[in-house]
Amino acid sequence: MINENNYETYFMSYIDNELNAAERAAVEAFVLTEPKYAAALALFEKTKLHASSNEFMEMEDKIFLYRFTEMDAKLDGDFKKSLYRKQAPVRKIIFTPNLMRASFAIAAMLILFIGLQLFKTESSISESNIVESNIVETPLKDKTTVASTNILIPAENQTLANSAIATKAITKNQTILASTNNTSNSINTNIVSSSSSQASRENDSQNIVVAKFSEGQISSTAMETMATEEEKTILPTNYKEIDTEEEDRTINIGILEIDAAAFRGITRKFSALLKRNKIEK
Amino acid sequence: MLIEPSFIHDQLSMTDLEFNICVDDYSDGVYRFILKISKNKEDTRDIVQTAFEKLWVNREKVKTLKAKSYLFTVAYHLMIDQLRKESKIIMTDSFDENANAITQGSSELKQLLLEAINNLNPTQKSLILLKDYEGYSYQEIGEIMQLSESQVKVYLHRARLILKNKLTHLEKMSA
Repeated sequence: MINENNYETYFMSYIDNELNAAERAAVEAFVLTEPKYAAALALFEKTKLHASSNEFMEMEDKIFLYRFTEMDAKLDGDFKKSLYRKQAPVRKIIFTPNLMRASFAIAAMLILFIGLQLFKTESSISESNIVESNIVETPLKDKTTVASTNILIPAENQTLANSAIATKAITKNQTILASTNNTSNSINTNIVSSSSSQASRENDSQNIVVAKFSEGQISSTAMETMATEEEKTILPTNYKEIDTEEEDRTINIGILEIDAAAFRGITRKFSALLKRNKIEK
Repeated sequence: MLIEPSFIHDQLSMTDLEFNICVDDYSDGVYRFILKISKNKEDTRDIVQTAFEKLWVNREKVKTLKAKSYLFTVAYHLMIDQLRKESKIIMTDSFDENANAITQGSSELKQLLLEAINNLNPTQKSLILLKDYEGYSYQEIGEIMQLSESQVKVYLHRARLILKNKLTHLEKMSA
Protein backbone atom coordinates (compact mmCIF):
# COMPACT_ATOMS: atom_id res chain seq x y z
CA MET A 1 0.00 0.00 0.00
CA ILE A 2 1.48 3.35 -1.05
CA ASN A 3 1.45 6.03 1.64
CA GLU A 4 3.16 9.21 2.77
CA ASN A 5 6.19 7.29 4.07
CA ASN A 6 6.99 5.01 1.16
CA TYR A 7 5.73 6.85 -1.92
CA GLU A 8 9.27 7.96 -3.00
CA THR A 9 10.48 4.31 -3.20
CA TYR A 10 7.49 3.39 -5.30
CA PHE A 11 7.97 6.46 -7.50
CA MET A 12 11.63 5.59 -8.20
CA SER A 13 10.79 1.96 -8.95
CA TYR A 14 8.04 3.26 -11.20
CA ILE A 15 10.45 5.36 -13.30
CA ASP A 16 12.94 2.44 -13.32
CA ASN A 17 10.26 0.19 -14.84
CA GLU A 18 10.66 -2.29 -12.03
CA LEU A 19 6.98 -2.46 -10.99
CA ASN A 20 4.47 -4.93 -12.28
CA ALA A 21 1.21 -3.84 -13.85
CA ALA A 22 -0.76 -3.74 -10.58
CA GLU A 23 1.87 -1.74 -8.79
CA ARG A 24 2.06 0.74 -11.64
CA ALA A 25 -1.71 1.25 -11.54
CA ALA A 26 -1.53 1.85 -7.78
CA VAL A 27 1.13 4.51 -8.20
CA GLU A 28 -0.88 6.30 -10.89
CA ALA A 29 -3.91 6.29 -8.69
CA PHE A 30 -1.94 7.62 -5.69
CA VAL A 31 -0.57 10.49 -7.75
CA LEU A 32 -4.12 11.65 -8.53
CA THR A 33 -5.04 11.96 -4.85
CA GLU A 34 -2.72 14.92 -4.17
CA PRO A 35 -1.13 17.42 -6.61
CA LYS A 36 2.10 17.50 -4.60
CA TYR A 37 2.63 13.83 -5.36
CA ALA A 38 2.27 14.47 -9.07
CA ALA A 39 4.95 17.20 -8.83
CA ALA A 40 7.20 14.80 -6.92
CA LEU A 41 6.80 12.09 -9.55
CA ALA A 42 7.56 14.62 -12.29
CA LEU A 43 10.74 15.62 -10.46
CA PHE A 44 11.85 12.01 -10.22
CA GLU A 45 11.19 11.64 -13.92
CA LYS A 46 13.65 14.49 -14.58
CA THR A 47 16.44 12.54 -12.86
CA LYS A 48 16.27 9.88 -15.56
CA LEU A 49 18.89 10.13 -18.33
CA HIS A 50 17.54 9.77 -21.84
CA ALA A 51 20.08 8.79 -24.46
CA SER A 52 19.37 10.73 -27.60
CA SER A 53 20.80 10.05 -31.03
CA ASN A 54 23.26 12.89 -30.52
CA GLU A 55 24.76 11.09 -27.58
CA PHE A 56 25.62 8.03 -29.58
CA MET A 57 29.34 7.48 -29.37
CA GLU A 58 31.24 5.03 -31.46
CA MET A 59 34.41 3.46 -30.29
CA GLU A 60 37.39 4.19 -32.49
CA ASP A 61 39.50 1.35 -33.87
CA LYS A 62 36.80 -1.16 -33.16
CA ILE A 63 38.30 -3.37 -35.82
CA PHE A 64 41.00 -4.45 -33.37
CA LEU A 65 38.39 -6.12 -31.22
CA TYR A 66 37.51 -8.69 -33.83
CA ARG A 67 38.89 -12.16 -33.35
CA PHE A 68 39.33 -15.21 -35.52
CA THR A 69 40.25 -18.74 -34.59
CA GLU A 70 43.32 -18.61 -36.82
CA MET A 71 44.77 -16.03 -34.45
CA ASP A 72 45.24 -18.76 -31.87
CA ALA A 73 46.89 -21.13 -34.28
CA LYS A 74 50.11 -22.65 -33.02
CA LEU A 75 52.87 -24.48 -34.77
CA ASP A 76 53.17 -28.21 -34.45
CA GLY A 77 55.83 -29.07 -31.85
CA ASP A 78 57.89 -31.29 -34.15
CA PHE A 79 57.82 -28.74 -36.93
CA LYS A 80 58.87 -26.03 -34.49
CA LYS A 81 61.82 -28.12 -33.38
CA SER A 82 62.93 -28.47 -36.98
CA LEU A 83 63.21 -24.68 -37.23
CA TYR A 84 65.86 -24.45 -34.57
CA ARG A 85 69.40 -23.96 -35.74
CA LYS A 86 72.58 -24.73 -33.91
CA GLN A 87 75.44 -22.37 -34.08
CA ALA A 88 78.45 -23.91 -35.75
CA PRO A 89 81.15 -24.64 -33.21
CA VAL A 90 83.86 -22.10 -33.28
CA ARG A 91 87.19 -23.69 -33.96
CA LYS A 92 89.69 -22.61 -31.45
CA ILE A 93 93.32 -22.68 -32.28
CA ILE A 94 95.14 -23.73 -29.17
CA PHE A 95 98.60 -22.40 -29.31
CA THR A 96 100.84 -25.11 -28.02
CA PRO A 97 104.45 -24.20 -27.33
CA ASN A 98 105.59 -25.98 -30.49
CA LEU A 99 103.05 -24.18 -32.58
CA MET A 100 104.02 -20.87 -31.08
CA ARG A 101 107.71 -21.50 -31.81
CA ALA A 102 106.87 -22.46 -35.38
CA SER A 103 104.69 -19.36 -35.80
CA PHE A 104 107.44 -17.08 -34.56
CA ALA A 105 109.99 -18.75 -36.82
CA ILE A 106 107.79 -18.37 -39.86
CA ALA A 107 107.02 -14.75 -39.00
CA ALA A 108 110.73 -14.01 -38.63
CA MET A 109 111.49 -15.66 -41.98
CA LEU A 110 108.76 -13.69 -43.63
CA ILE A 111 110.03 -10.42 -42.27
CA LEU A 112 113.55 -11.23 -43.40
CA PHE A 113 112.35 -12.20 -46.83
CA ILE A 114 110.33 -9.04 -47.23
CA GLY A 115 113.27 -7.00 -46.04
CA LEU A 116 115.57 -8.62 -48.57
CA GLN A 117 113.13 -8.06 -51.36
CA LEU A 118 112.83 -4.43 -50.39
CA PHE A 119 116.60 -4.07 -50.38
CA LYS A 120 116.83 -5.66 -53.80
CA THR A 121 114.11 -3.45 -55.16
CA GLU A 122 115.79 -0.31 -53.96
CA SER A 123 119.14 -1.26 -55.40
CA SER A 124 117.67 -2.17 -58.76
CA ILE A 125 115.87 1.15 -59.00
CA SER A 126 119.05 3.08 -58.31
CA GLU A 127 120.97 1.12 -60.93
CA SER A 128 118.43 1.49 -63.64
CA ASN A 129 118.72 5.25 -63.64
CA ILE A 130 122.18 5.14 -65.07
CA VAL A 131 122.62 4.33 -68.69
CA GLU A 132 125.81 2.69 -69.75
CA SER A 133 126.87 1.23 -72.87
CA ASN A 134 129.02 -1.53 -71.75
CA ILE A 135 131.67 -2.57 -74.05
CA VAL A 136 132.85 -5.90 -72.97
CA GLU A 137 135.88 -7.46 -74.43
CA THR A 138 135.97 -11.16 -74.33
CA PRO A 139 139.02 -12.87 -75.70
CA LEU A 140 138.39 -15.40 -78.40
CA LYS A 141 140.61 -17.98 -80.02
CA ASP A 142 142.12 -15.75 -82.59
CA LYS A 143 142.14 -12.63 -80.57
CA THR A 144 139.01 -11.39 -81.87
CA THR A 145 136.84 -9.38 -79.74
CA VAL A 146 133.29 -9.18 -79.58
CA ALA A 147 131.85 -5.90 -79.02
CA SER A 148 128.55 -5.90 -77.60
CA THR A 149 126.49 -3.41 -76.07
CA ASN A 150 123.44 -3.31 -74.16
CA ILE A 151 120.73 -1.83 -76.05
CA LEU A 152 118.92 0.35 -73.73
CA ILE A 153 115.49 1.68 -74.20
CA PRO A 154 114.82 5.19 -73.15
CA ALA A 155 112.89 5.58 -69.96
CA GLU A 156 109.70 7.52 -69.61
CA ASN A 157 109.76 10.63 -71.62
CA GLN A 158 108.51 13.83 -70.41
CA THR A 159 107.71 15.33 -73.73
CA LEU A 160 105.96 13.95 -76.75
CA ALA A 161 108.94 14.85 -78.89
CA ASN A 162 111.20 12.70 -76.83
CA SER A 163 108.79 9.83 -76.89
CA ALA A 164 108.56 10.05 -80.65
CA ILE A 165 112.29 9.97 -80.97
CA ALA A 166 112.49 7.11 -78.53
CA THR A 167 110.04 5.15 -80.64
CA LYS A 168 112.14 5.75 -83.68
CA ALA A 169 115.23 4.65 -81.84
CA ILE A 170 113.64 1.43 -80.84
CA THR A 171 112.66 0.68 -84.35
CA LYS A 172 116.04 1.58 -85.62
CA ASN A 173 117.82 -0.55 -83.15
CA GLN A 174 117.81 -3.72 -84.92
CA THR A 175 120.00 -6.68 -84.59
CA ILE A 176 123.44 -5.96 -85.56
CA LEU A 177 124.40 -7.71 -88.60
CA ALA A 178 127.85 -8.56 -89.07
CA SER A 179 128.75 -10.52 -92.03
CA THR A 180 132.15 -11.43 -92.81
CA ASN A 181 133.49 -12.46 -95.93
CA ASN A 182 136.11 -15.08 -95.86
CA THR A 183 137.83 -13.89 -98.94
CA SER A 184 137.77 -10.19 -98.45
CA ASN A 185 138.03 -10.16 -94.67
CA SER A 186 135.80 -7.22 -94.60
CA ILE A 187 133.52 -6.33 -91.94
CA ASN A 188 130.24 -4.96 -92.55
CA THR A 189 129.04 -2.95 -89.83
CA ASN A 190 125.86 -1.31 -89.35
CA ILE A 191 125.81 1.86 -87.68
CA VAL A 192 122.92 1.98 -85.46
CA SER A 193 121.71 5.18 -84.20
CA SER A 194 119.79 5.35 -81.12
CA SER A 195 117.64 8.00 -79.78
CA SER A 196 118.36 11.00 -77.71
CA SER A 197 118.59 10.83 -74.03
CA GLN A 198 116.23 12.22 -71.62
CA ALA A 199 118.31 12.98 -68.59
CA SER A 200 121.20 14.66 -70.35
CA ARG A 201 119.77 17.44 -72.33
CA GLU A 202 123.09 18.43 -73.95
CA ASN A 203 123.19 15.32 -76.08
CA ASP A 204 120.54 14.99 -78.68
CA SER A 205 121.68 11.80 -80.22
CA GLN A 206 124.08 9.14 -79.63
CA ASN A 207 125.66 6.99 -82.15
CA ILE A 208 126.57 3.63 -81.15
CA VAL A 209 128.74 1.72 -83.34
CA VAL A 210 128.17 -1.86 -83.02
CA ALA A 211 129.99 -4.52 -84.61
CA LYS A 212 129.69 -8.09 -84.26
CA PHE A 213 132.38 -10.29 -85.39
CA SER A 214 132.38 -13.86 -86.03
CA GLU A 215 135.07 -16.03 -84.76
CA GLY A 216 138.26 -16.34 -86.72
CA GLN A 217 137.31 -14.18 -89.62
CA ILE A 218 138.43 -10.79 -88.76
CA SER A 219 141.92 -9.52 -88.83
CA SER A 220 143.36 -7.95 -85.82
CA THR A 221 144.24 -4.80 -87.66
CA ALA A 222 140.66 -4.28 -88.57
CA MET A 223 139.80 -4.74 -85.01
CA GLU A 224 142.30 -2.20 -83.89
CA THR A 225 140.85 0.23 -86.33
CA MET A 226 137.54 -0.45 -84.94
CA ALA A 227 138.75 0.12 -81.47
CA THR A 228 140.33 3.46 -82.27
CA GLU A 229 137.47 4.64 -84.31
CA GLU A 230 135.00 3.65 -81.72
CA GLU A 231 133.77 6.45 -79.72
CA LYS A 232 133.62 5.60 -76.14
CA THR A 233 131.80 8.56 -74.91
CA ILE A 234 129.41 7.53 -72.32
CA LEU A 235 126.74 10.01 -71.85
CA PRO A 236 124.50 9.60 -68.90
CA THR A 237 120.93 9.24 -69.86
CA ASN A 238 117.91 7.98 -68.16
CA TYR A 239 116.96 4.64 -69.44
CA LYS A 240 114.98 1.92 -67.92
CA GLU A 241 115.98 -1.62 -68.46
CA ILE A 242 113.29 -3.98 -69.52
CA ASP A 243 113.70 -7.49 -68.34
CA THR A 244 112.32 -9.51 -71.13
CA GLU A 245 113.82 -12.78 -70.08
CA GLU A 246 111.27 -14.19 -67.81
CA GLU A 247 107.76 -13.52 -66.66
CA ASP A 248 107.34 -11.18 -63.72
CA ARG A 249 106.01 -13.11 -60.77
CA THR A 250 105.91 -10.70 -57.95
CA ILE A 251 103.18 -10.02 -55.48
CA ASN A 252 102.73 -6.35 -54.77
CA ILE A 253 101.56 -5.53 -51.29
CA GLY A 254 101.55 -1.76 -51.03
CA ILE A 255 105.10 -0.73 -51.75
CA LEU A 256 106.43 -4.20 -51.08
CA GLU A 257 107.23 -6.58 -53.86
CA ILE A 258 107.28 -10.17 -52.76
CA ASP A 259 108.28 -13.09 -54.87
CA ALA A 260 105.16 -15.11 -55.45
CA ALA A 261 106.80 -18.53 -55.46
CA ALA A 262 108.65 -17.90 -52.21
CA PHE A 263 105.56 -16.54 -50.54
CA ARG A 264 103.54 -19.54 -51.59
CA GLY A 265 106.18 -21.85 -50.14
CA ILE A 266 106.04 -20.09 -46.80
CA THR A 267 102.27 -20.23 -46.58
CA ARG A 268 102.30 -23.94 -47.40
CA LYS A 269 104.73 -24.59 -44.59
CA PHE A 270 102.58 -22.68 -42.16
CA SER A 271 99.40 -24.52 -43.08
CA ALA A 272 101.24 -27.85 -42.81
CA LEU A 273 102.30 -26.92 -39.27
CA LEU A 274 98.71 -26.10 -38.34
CA LYS A 275 97.48 -29.43 -39.70
CA ARG A 276 100.15 -31.24 -37.74
CA ASN A 277 99.01 -29.50 -34.63
CA LYS A 278 95.44 -30.64 -35.17
CA ILE A 279 96.50 -34.26 -35.74
CA GLU A 280 98.50 -34.20 -32.51
CA LYS A 281 95.38 -33.29 -30.63
CA MET B 1 36.51 -11.41 -9.88
CA LEU B 2 34.09 -14.29 -9.62
CA ILE B 3 32.32 -15.34 -12.75
CA GLU B 4 28.66 -15.84 -12.04
CA PRO B 5 27.36 -19.37 -12.69
CA SER B 6 24.80 -17.97 -15.11
CA PHE B 7 27.62 -17.06 -17.43
CA ILE B 8 28.84 -20.60 -17.59
CA HIS B 9 27.04 -23.20 -19.63
CA ASP B 10 27.57 -26.61 -20.99
CA GLN B 11 26.36 -25.93 -24.47
CA LEU B 12 28.42 -25.25 -27.55
CA SER B 13 31.01 -22.52 -27.16
CA MET B 14 30.77 -19.17 -28.87
CA THR B 15 31.94 -19.22 -32.46
CA ASP B 16 34.10 -16.62 -34.16
CA LEU B 17 31.06 -15.20 -35.90
CA GLU B 18 29.07 -14.90 -32.69
CA PHE B 19 31.96 -13.21 -30.99
CA ASN B 20 32.39 -10.70 -33.76
CA ILE B 21 28.66 -10.00 -33.69
CA CYS B 22 29.10 -9.18 -30.00
CA VAL B 23 31.77 -6.73 -31.00
CA ASP B 24 29.38 -5.02 -33.40
CA ASP B 25 26.50 -4.94 -30.92
CA TYR B 26 28.10 -4.17 -27.58
CA SER B 27 31.45 -2.50 -28.07
CA ASP B 28 30.00 1.00 -28.43
CA GLY B 29 27.75 0.55 -25.39
CA VAL B 30 30.60 -0.66 -23.20
CA TYR B 31 32.77 2.17 -24.51
CA ARG B 32 30.17 4.82 -23.69
CA PHE B 33 29.53 3.41 -20.25
CA ILE B 34 33.16 3.34 -19.26
CA LEU B 35 34.00 6.66 -20.87
CA LYS B 36 31.29 8.52 -19.00
CA ILE B 37 32.77 7.39 -15.72
CA SER B 38 36.49 7.32 -16.38
CA LYS B 39 36.62 10.41 -18.66
CA ASN B 40 39.79 9.07 -20.26
CA LYS B 41 39.61 7.81 -23.82
CA GLU B 42 42.83 5.88 -23.72
CA ASP B 43 41.98 4.11 -20.50
CA THR B 44 38.49 3.39 -21.79
CA ARG B 45 39.86 1.84 -24.99
CA ASP B 46 42.20 -0.32 -22.98
CA ILE B 47 39.38 -1.46 -20.74
CA VAL B 48 37.13 -2.32 -23.64
CA GLN B 49 39.97 -4.14 -25.37
CA THR B 50 40.68 -6.16 -22.24
CA ALA B 51 37.03 -6.98 -21.71
CA PHE B 52 36.65 -8.39 -25.20
CA GLU B 53 39.94 -10.20 -24.88
CA LYS B 54 38.67 -11.92 -21.76
CA LEU B 55 35.47 -12.82 -23.51
CA TRP B 56 37.46 -14.37 -26.32
CA VAL B 57 39.57 -16.38 -23.93
CA ASN B 58 36.49 -17.59 -22.07
CA ARG B 59 34.25 -17.97 -25.09
CA GLU B 60 33.79 -21.67 -24.41
CA LYS B 61 32.37 -20.90 -20.98
CA VAL B 62 30.21 -17.85 -21.69
CA LYS B 63 26.77 -18.12 -23.24
CA THR B 64 26.24 -15.93 -26.24
CA LEU B 65 23.10 -14.47 -24.66
CA LYS B 66 25.04 -13.51 -21.58
CA ALA B 67 27.92 -11.96 -23.48
CA LYS B 68 26.66 -8.42 -22.96
CA SER B 69 26.43 -8.79 -19.20
CA TYR B 70 29.80 -10.46 -19.14
CA LEU B 71 31.36 -7.59 -21.06
CA PHE B 72 29.85 -4.92 -18.87
CA THR B 73 30.86 -6.82 -15.76
CA VAL B 74 34.43 -7.18 -16.82
CA ALA B 75 34.63 -3.60 -18.05
CA TYR B 76 33.10 -2.19 -14.88
CA HIS B 77 35.50 -4.01 -12.61
CA LEU B 78 38.45 -3.07 -14.71
CA MET B 79 37.32 0.52 -14.49
CA ILE B 80 36.97 0.37 -10.72
CA ASP B 81 40.43 -1.17 -10.43
CA GLN B 82 41.80 1.55 -12.64
CA LEU B 83 40.18 4.26 -10.57
CA ARG B 84 41.43 2.76 -7.33
CA LYS B 85 44.92 2.52 -8.77
CA GLU B 86 44.86 6.13 -9.74
CA SER B 87 43.04 7.07 -6.48
CA LYS B 88 40.61 9.12 -8.42
CA ILE B 89 37.47 10.30 -6.76
CA ILE B 90 35.37 11.63 -9.55
CA MET B 91 33.12 14.07 -7.81
CA THR B 92 33.70 17.26 -9.63
CA ASP B 93 34.53 16.15 -13.10
CA SER B 94 32.21 17.64 -15.54
CA PHE B 95 30.35 16.15 -18.39
CA ASP B 96 30.94 19.35 -20.25
CA GLU B 97 33.21 17.89 -22.84
CA ASN B 98 30.89 15.08 -23.71
CA ALA B 99 27.81 17.16 -23.25
CA ASN B 100 28.94 19.75 -25.70
CA ALA B 101 30.01 17.15 -28.16
CA ILE B 102 26.98 14.99 -28.01
CA THR B 103 24.12 17.29 -26.96
CA GLN B 104 24.20 20.26 -29.17
CA GLY B 105 21.28 22.51 -28.40
CA SER B 106 20.38 20.46 -25.26
CA SER B 107 17.97 21.96 -22.75
CA GLU B 108 19.03 23.72 -19.63
CA LEU B 109 17.53 20.86 -17.65
CA LYS B 110 19.81 18.35 -19.29
CA GLN B 111 22.81 20.48 -18.56
CA LEU B 112 21.73 20.71 -14.94
CA LEU B 113 21.22 16.95 -14.77
CA LEU B 114 24.59 16.17 -16.22
CA GLU B 115 26.16 18.57 -13.80
CA ALA B 116 24.40 16.81 -10.94
CA ILE B 117 25.51 13.35 -12.12
CA ASN B 118 29.09 14.55 -12.03
CA ASN B 119 28.79 14.90 -8.32
CA LEU B 120 27.97 11.21 -7.81
CA ASN B 121 30.59 8.62 -6.89
CA PRO B 122 31.59 5.99 -9.46
CA THR B 123 29.25 3.37 -8.07
CA GLN B 124 26.24 5.65 -8.17
CA LYS B 125 27.17 6.96 -11.57
CA SER B 126 27.55 3.40 -12.89
CA LEU B 127 24.14 2.51 -11.52
CA ILE B 128 22.49 5.47 -13.24
CA LEU B 129 24.24 4.78 -16.53
CA LEU B 130 23.54 1.07 -16.54
CA LYS B 131 19.95 1.67 -15.69
CA ASP B 132 19.11 4.64 -17.90
CA TYR B 133 21.49 4.24 -20.87
CA GLU B 134 21.74 0.48 -21.09
CA GLY B 135 18.38 -0.49 -19.69
CA TYR B 136 19.56 -3.22 -17.36
CA SER B 137 17.33 -4.58 -14.65
CA TYR B 138 18.22 -4.47 -10.97
CA GLN B 139 19.20 -8.10 -11.19
CA GLU B 140 21.43 -7.62 -14.20
CA ILE B 141 23.06 -4.58 -12.68
CA GLY B 142 23.67 -6.66 -9.56
CA GLU B 143 25.46 -9.29 -11.65
CA ILE B 144 27.61 -6.72 -13.31
CA MET B 145 28.54 -4.84 -10.23
CA GLN B 146 28.65 -7.79 -7.91
CA LEU B 147 25.77 -6.49 -5.78
CA SER B 148 22.55 -8.03 -4.63
CA GLU B 149 19.30 -6.88 -6.18
CA SER B 150 18.22 -5.11 -3.01
CA GLN B 151 21.56 -3.36 -2.80
CA VAL B 152 21.19 -2.14 -6.36
CA LYS B 153 17.72 -0.83 -5.57
CA VAL B 154 18.84 0.99 -2.44
CA TYR B 155 21.98 2.51 -4.01
CA LEU B 156 20.13 3.56 -7.10
CA HIS B 157 17.36 5.20 -5.16
CA ARG B 158 19.87 7.10 -3.11
CA ALA B 159 21.46 8.33 -6.32
CA ARG B 160 18.11 9.47 -7.65
CA LEU B 161 17.30 11.33 -4.45
CA ILE B 162 20.59 13.15 -4.65
CA LEU B 163 19.87 14.07 -8.23
CA LYS B 164 16.37 15.22 -7.38
CA ASN B 165 17.54 17.47 -4.57
CA LYS B 166 20.31 18.85 -6.74
CA LEU B 167 17.92 19.61 -9.54
CA THR B 168 15.51 21.32 -7.17
CA HIS B 169 18.26 23.47 -5.80
CA LEU B 170 19.59 24.41 -9.21
CA GLU B 171 16.16 25.24 -10.53
CA LYS B 172 15.54 27.51 -7.57
CA MET B 173 18.85 29.24 -8.19
CA SER B 174 18.17 29.73 -11.85
CA ALA B 175 14.66 30.99 -11.23
